[in-house]
Amino acid sequence: MRGRSGNRVSFRTTALLLYGLLAASPAIAQEMTTSLVDIHQGSPLSDRARGLGDGGYELQNGSRVSFNQWYRASWVDMHVDLLTQITEDTGILWGFGTGEEGEKYRIEPSLKLGFLTQMHPSANSTFSLSLTATIGGNLTEKPCEANYGDLGTYSVNCRLAASEMAPEETLKYLVNAKPESQHLWLNYRVTF
Amino acid sequence: MRKSSRSEIGDRPSWFLFERSKSMSGSCLKFGIATALTILSASMASAQEAVNADEMAALCHGGGLSTCVSATIPAAGTQAVQGWMSPDVGAAWAAGYKGKGVTITIVDDFSSTSRFSGNFGVGVQTQRHGEWTREEASMIAPFATIRSKDFSTSSAVSLAPGLNVLNLSYGMYAKAGYRLNQIGWSPEEASIISYATKGTAVVSKAAGNDAVAVGGVTGGQQDYLDLALVGKASAIFVGALSTNGTTSNKAQLAWYSNYAGSNTLVQSHFLVVGVTGDKTGLYGTSFAAPIISGYAAIIGSKFTKATATQITNDLLNTARTDTLVNYSAAVYGKGEASLSRALAPVAIK
Repeated sequence: MRGRSGNRVSFRTTALLLYGLLAASPAIAQEMTTSLVDIHQGSPLSDRARGLGDGGYELQNGSRVSFNQWYRASWVDMHVDLLTQITEDTGILWGFGTGEEGEKYRIEPSLKLGFLTQMHPSANSTFSLSLTATIGGNLTEKPCEANYGDLGTYSVNCRLAASEMAPEETLKYLVNAKPESQHLWLNYRVTF
Repeated sequence: MRKSSRSEIGDRPSWFLFERSKSMSGSCLKFGIATALTILSASMASAQEAVNADEMAALCHGGGLSTCVSATIPAAGTQAVQGWMSPDVGAAWAAGYKGKGVTITIVDDFSSTSRFSGNFGVGVQTQRHGEWTREEASMIAPFATIRSKDFSTSSAVSLAPGLNVLNLSYGMYAKAGYRLNQIGWSPEEASIISYATKGTAVVSKAAGNDAVAVGGVTGGQQDYLDLALVGKASAIFVGALSTNGTTSNKAQLAWYSNYAGSNTLVQSHFLVVGVTGDKTGLYGTSFAAPIISGYAAIIGSKFTKATATQITNDLLNTARTDTLVNYSAAVYGKGEASLSRALAPVAIK
């Protein structure tokens, strides 16, 4: 279960809720019920984007540029995970992420799709498996336009504009990251 | 005509290293050499292909070569930020760009028998003036290609492909009062002045150690090379501060250093840097100019398409005045060179 991290807010009931749903009365499975499994704000990529905001440098006139202004968002990526139960022992996991955007980065919206199934090797044991895939949700860092006076104006990595690196070289270090695209979850439970 | 150098003057202590000077005499004022040397455009090697200092000396003398190949630079391999360097240098190295792709040509004494001792943080060494200035520049910009040009040869200085920086830790002294158009320059200085005029090489010129304004008269003599470089597009006069300045611990001009003076053309091309002789045992604006040469190389390794004039202007326009005691353009010119600011944008969005 993911805990709170930074400004991430989690309202999840996560796996325990999943268990509860699937272990519930067989009558529930007769209906196509959809349950909220998890809702939270923030993600590892959100945290990474926020981390890009650490630091800064001085411009030629000595004024300070803080990266923080470029890597903060008014809305933090929210993820909603749902479970639609199909049979007593199977369900479809699905959900979405809203994405987020700062001045110099973007996390695109995402969709999550997968399934959950369980079997009972014995009367008092349950084996569960879920597999989910995520589409979208990539983190893309945007370049800045740096004016070096007589030396010209370049498209640069905002964070490396004052380094010794050639302006065009800094673009190689723009962050392009993907979220966890597939997630496999296995669980075996014995009740005694 | 004769060519000489003066490494010690008057009652100044022997550890005080004056910029090397090539004295001129004779009525026609042609800067030349009495003992003619064969002028060869010998190929120059990079610092990485260095031979040792003694081998280099042999190359300088043997066969009358006008150009010495680069020699052993003991400190270059260490690539450590030394106490005498500005903190800017360490920060500048962080990304691994240290002057690569830029050629610094040290025009200096690589052939005389005059040697003196100092310590750039890699142990006490005893070497010639040019070997010292070359070592210093290579320590600031360790990935730059370093060339050595013996100034006793008077042959024209050739340029390498890419950005060139010329380090001049010497002066051309003669009796004061001549006009520049009376001077017949040797091919060596003529080429340097031409490069500074056309902006084809950054020319880092030691301001001088007579505590007068650049180009001023001292002992009845003037540095005509200073005068010839005034107003040139890519020339920088470099004075010495006694320390590296900070806003909380401001630096002042070293007692010996020439200053910018009232000529605005000099002021606008005059920089100062810390020469911490208390740490190295080496004093003089001779050791200020190689710092600017190294800075120019580092900037050139970032802005690989920049011209020498653009690099020069970048250094001049980003100099700091808030790190200096009682800043005045007549003393400090544009101010203390700031590598970190020279590498930073004017604006970013």
